[in-house]
Amino acid sequence: MLIAKDLTKIFSNGVVALDQVSLTVQKGEFVFLVGPSGAGKSTFLNLVIRRDNPTSGLIAVNQQNIAFLKKKEIALLRRSIGVIFQDYKLLPQKTVYENVAFALEVIEARTRAIKERVYTVLELVGLLGKAHVLPSELSGGEQQRVCLARSLVNKPLLLLADEPTGNLDPDTSWEIMELLREINRRGTTIVMATHNREIVDQMRKRVIALDHGKLVRDTPKGGYHLEA
Amino acid sequence: MKPRTFGYFLREALHGLVRNRLMTITALGIITIGLFLFGIFLLLTANLRYFTTLAWKEVEVRVFLQPSVTDPATVGAQLATLPGVAKITFVPKAEGAATLERLFGQQGTLFLNDENPLPDAYTLSLAEKADPQEIAKLATAVPGVEEVICGQDFVEFLEMIIQLTLIVGLILLTLTALAVLYIVVNTIQLTVYARRKEVEIMKLVGATDSFVRWPFLLEGIILGLLGAGLAFLLLSKGYGFLVHRLRLYRRFLPLLSGGEFQTHLMVALFTMGLFFGGFGSHVSLKRYLKV
Ligand SMILES: Nc1ncnc2c1ncn2[C@@H]1O[C@H](COP(=O)(O)OP(=O)(O)OP(=O)(O)O)[C@@H](O)[C@H]1O
Ligand SMILES: [Mg+2]
Repeated sequence: MLIAKDLTKIFSNGVVALDQVSLTVQKGEFVFLVGPSGAGKSTFLNLVIRRDNPTSGLIAVNQQNIAFLKKKEIALLRRSIGVIFQDYKLLPQKTVYENVAFALEVIEARTRAIKERVYTVLELVGLLGKAHVLPSELSGGEQQRVCLARSLVNKPLLLLADEPTGNLDPDTSWEIMELLREINRRGTTIVMATHNREIVDQMRKRVIALDHGKLVRDTPKGGYHLEA
Repeated sequence: MKPRTFGYFLREALHGLVRNRLMTITALGIITIGLFLFGIFLLLTANLRYFTTLAWKEVEVRVFLQPSVTDPATVGAQLATLPGVAKITFVPKAEGAATLERLFGQQGTLFLNDENPLPDAYTLSLAEKADPQEIAKLATAVPGVEEVICGQDFVEFLEMIIQLTLIVGLILLTLTALAVLYIVVNTIQLTVYARRKEVEIMKLVGATDSFVRWPFLLEGIILGLLGAGLAFLLLSKGYGFLVHRLRLYRRFLPLLSGGEFQTHLMVALFTMGLFFGGFGSHVSLKRYLKV
């Protein structure tokens, strides 16, 4: 599903954000990406959706090398990847329904399909009752669920999450994790960057640790720190 | 492009215009003024040209024959073959005398005695764009020709005015064009700023670049076309009024008028509006829309 080989990103200011990272994520896996601030987690996720291009090395999504894509191909790549963020990135003037539908409208999906898909994902995240409410009237957890619904509405094969629980209290964080676990169970591959030790330790999923741009650990069913 | 997609672009573009109402009005005003000036320039040069073509038709070269010429027709035949000569008219001495008499009355012919000292002459009408000086030179070389007089001074003066209008006009228009571009670029920049979050999300979920760009381009184009429409309205009303007021002086000051001319003006204004609107937003997107 996701392959990186000697993946390196050096920013124009000379910062080496990723240093020869090699890893493979299989279809259906749930992977935590951990590491201290500045380790390169966000940089890695940004390379996967081609918000940035790698300095060297290879990166492939779904068996397609994405290091050299035309703009149009980048747009198509992004349609097969869902992304959720710490700050949700919802449009404040649009309702929950409209925020989710937006993701399909701007890729010119058919109107009928849009309605059906939006209600399906809103039901999945438990927000059917708040479809016509503005984001400002929602709690943080609910806003994150809208963001999640939007990332799923186009049936992505791969879901990337960059600190999705960063702004949430522990209980609400677990609600989101339960949803992610459910989505993963239904077949979506998930890569989640996080600082949340408790969650990583309890979920017992594969953990990949970065430090100063280097891959320092890759343990199946691991914890946040290397266990003795 | 699907109709629904176009509808979306249009809605977003109009939304952008309404969102920055003050900027939109300012921009529209400046574009209208710019295109209005452009229109005035077009009207001015078109009329000057028209006037000049009319004047060219009036330009004549007069060729006086030597008194010794007994067979003016031979000389006439040669003159008629000169390049640039459209028509020749023979003016026999008798007629020359009559003209003099008409102009100056009896006194005009007093000195003539019985003998008419006026030479036979030809009046050459010129083909369009023919150079009277050139023809005068050629005519002088024709055997039997005594003297050639040509009267193109006024037309040359007109030509000079046209040149001057073109130069001054183009300088002014360039400045105006820059002002128009500047205002369009800034208007679109405001919309880009207002929609930056939307754009970011659009890009993330896989909207194509052209999908992201179109509403902004359309916004500029709508601005340009609206400005063109306003300028055209002002110009055609104002010019129609002018033509109407000056209709009595038509003989001295002929003005272009009529539907075809209006169409040309309209096409020119809307093309410019489209260009400045589209190009302005394009420049703005290049600078401010990092997609
Ligand atoms: N656009 C950029 N230009 C220059 N340097 C950058 C840029 N983006 C990130 N960096 C640098 O790259 C390194 C990795 O940053 P990155 O955001 O990937 O870290 P992170 O692991 O996501 O950290 P955090 O846990 O704080 O989110 C940092 O040193 C950062 O300063
Ligand atoms: Mg980060």
